[in-house]
Amino acid sequence: MVAGVRETVPVGPGFIMSLPTSMAMLAFIFLAVGSNASAGSLDSDIDRLKADVAELSQTLYELEESVLYPVDTQVAVFLTLSNREGLDLDSVELYLNDKPVASHLYTDRERDSLKQGGVQRLYIGNLPHGSHQLKAVLTARSANERFVRREAVHQFRKRPGESRIQMTLDAKAPDYEPVVSFQEWK
Amino acid sequence: MDLRVRLWKSGYLVALGFAMLCASGATGANNNGDLRELRDGLARFALDSGDPAGALRYTRKSSGEAGLLVRAKALMATGNGGKARPILEQLLEGQYYRGQAALLLADLAAGKDDALARQRLETAARLAHGEARQQALYRLAELQREAGNADRAGQVLALMEPGYWAALGYMNIAADYGKRDLNPSRALVALRVALAMSGEDSDGHRSQELRSRLLVRAGHLAYEHEDYEKAIGFLEKVPLESYSTPQGLYLHGLALSASGNQRAAMQSWHRARKYPLAYPGVANAWLGTGRGYDLAGYLGQAGEAYLAANASYESERVTLRKLTDQIRDKGAFQALVLDARNSEAQWFLADSRTLTQPRTAYLLRFMEQPHAQAAVNRVAELREIGQTLDQHEGSLTVFRGAIRERLGPGATVNLPSEGFDDSIEALANRVANLNAHATSTVQREALKSAARTLSDVKTSIARLDDRLAKKDRELNNLLDQTDSALERVGSIRHRAGALLEQAEAALNEMALVFVEEQDRRLAFALDRTEQQIAHLYEYLALRNIERGQP
Repeated sequence: MVAGVRETVPVGPGFIMSLPTSMAMLAFIFLAVGSNASAGSLDSDIDRLKADVAELSQTLYELEESVLYPVDTQVAVFLTLSNREGLDLDSVELYLNDKPVASHLYTDRERDSLKQGGVQRLYIGNLPHGSHQLKAVLTARSANERFVRREAVHQFRKRPGESRIQMTLDAKAPDYEPVVSFQEWK
Repeated sequence: MDLRVRLWKSGYLVALGFAMLCASGATGANNNGDLRELRDGLARFALDSGDPAGALRYTRKSSGEAGLLVRAKALMATGNGGKARPILEQLLEGQYYRGQAALLLADLAAGKDDALARQRLETAARLAHGEARQQALYRLAELQREAGNADRAGQVLALMEPGYWAALGYMNIAADYGKRDLNPSRALVALRVALAMSGEDSDGHRSQELRSRLLVRAGHLAYEHEDYEKAIGFLEKVPLESYSTPQGLYLHGLALSASGNQRAAMQSWHRARKYPLAYPGVANAWLGTGRGYDLAGYLGQAGEAYLAANASYESERVTLRKLTDQIRDKGAFQALVLDARNSEAQWFLADSRTLTQPRTAYLLRFMEQPHAQAAVNRVAELREIGQTLDQHEGSLTVFRGAIRERLGPGATVNLPSEGFDDSIEALANRVANLNAHATSTVQREALKSAARTLSDVKTSIARLDDRLAKKDRELNNLLDQTDSALERVGSIRHRAGALLEQAEAALNEMALVFVEEQDRRLAFALDRTEQQIAHLYEYLALRNIERGQP
């Protein structure tokens, strides 16, 4: 073929396209399909990797509990909300026998989760058998636009086996006064 | 007689024992139920606070529907859709979460089996409540709209509650009407409905952002159809702190200029020019200022404005060339995403200045494209996985050290349990003696508490020998688990590294194409200002000739 002359190929009825154009289009289609396919395969590889990392994280959690918190001395403190609308929690601080052991500042997502029945593990640690004191200091905004800071104290006995203490926060209308109740699980 | 009494007594005791057993059984069942609730709650919080692996751990033994739903979501979040599917199918046959399960199953089927995805969405729209139902209906409406059935899509949208999803649906339908109709009225009605619907969204930020976008679209549509008053009305309501503001200001100026108010138009363009050139409408606003002076008869200022626009485009092209070099040197994730995050804005100015940072502007513009979002997300996820693996490796190394220390020769302790027993016995006797002399309730309570602690200590000591005998075996077992976990960390890190390289290469390529496109856009704008300057000078030269001046 003489340089500069273009061969035309029929593509369909009433549709004629030059060869270089059709080649360019085909190359574009192959590239687009190829890049989509490679993105898809990359996504599925990432998914498999995420699944393996999640499994590894679970193994690590189990090891952590076995190595750091033997069952006989283990104490865990949980937080739940019993009233969805009463309080917007800002922060919680925990003291065990007057020593600060945990504190948490809440994000909007965490607040929403607690309001929808989520339970937060505030603390896990070890304590010897006998009597202990748990103190919680919480700051929150109540539904009637008041900023509140309250302290709640709970005496408990650490006995052999896992100890779980559930701290439930409530604030009922009309005054939305925060009330903290404690429940122990064996 | 004695025998009868004894039999009666033993019968009574058996009955009492049975009753107590039942009671304790019931308490145990309640306890188990409550514990299950506690675990489900922990799983939900873990999932919501971005720890799906924690959620999977808490729901390992879950059999309740709430726990299973959280587990399925956590499995999907950790890339395990295959394992989530049977759980969701089970929930679809269940009692409480049928709608949510159908919606999640639709997500799993999307892109693989469109007919099944549609069927799942229809089930979700029938069975779900609240946000899940609205989302399902929106997606059904989108399927109809994408198939070219805008009217059927409208019928689906009519079933929805006011809120974000309905507003999005009406906005998309308005775009379709805007493309198809010669008369803008249907599209404008759809946009007005969308505006009303977005006002009912409970998420304030989301609602505000969508409202801005809707107002700009409505203003643009009205301007295109030469209804300038209406366009100005819509555009004047665009809030000043949103992504759509620069475009809104440019269109506002355009509508004012078309209705003859050049001075006000230039004020709007002047405000639009405060934003980075990356935003839609800003480059045109620079050009518009010159045109405005020109139309108002201030030819000298028009020339200056065009020259200023020229200089601004030139300088932006230099910035883009630097950005291209940085993308090639550091990678797009660092140059475009991370560096945009590290702006030098002071915290008290950060909110109002976020939109005026050029790097952030390019990032936002780049992220408008869905494939760019996916590419950035891939790199971000893989980098996060790398950090998680580093943390895991650190923790596992500490555990290995701690376990080896406990296994070492110094850790073996021979405890004289007899000595302990004697001490406890002596202490128990002292408590008993003191109890006999206790005078107040407080004293008696304190002694009772001490007696209970002693009893607990005695129980623990009784178990100690057995536990010490098992100690080495258990620690060796833990050590093996730790070593195998460390090996897994190594192999996963190797895979993650290779995938990160691929993901970064794809992102770099995409970002370079984007920057090149932005450069072309500015080159085009530069070309236009140069033409305007040429026209202006030509006109001035001709006028001077006509006046007979040199």
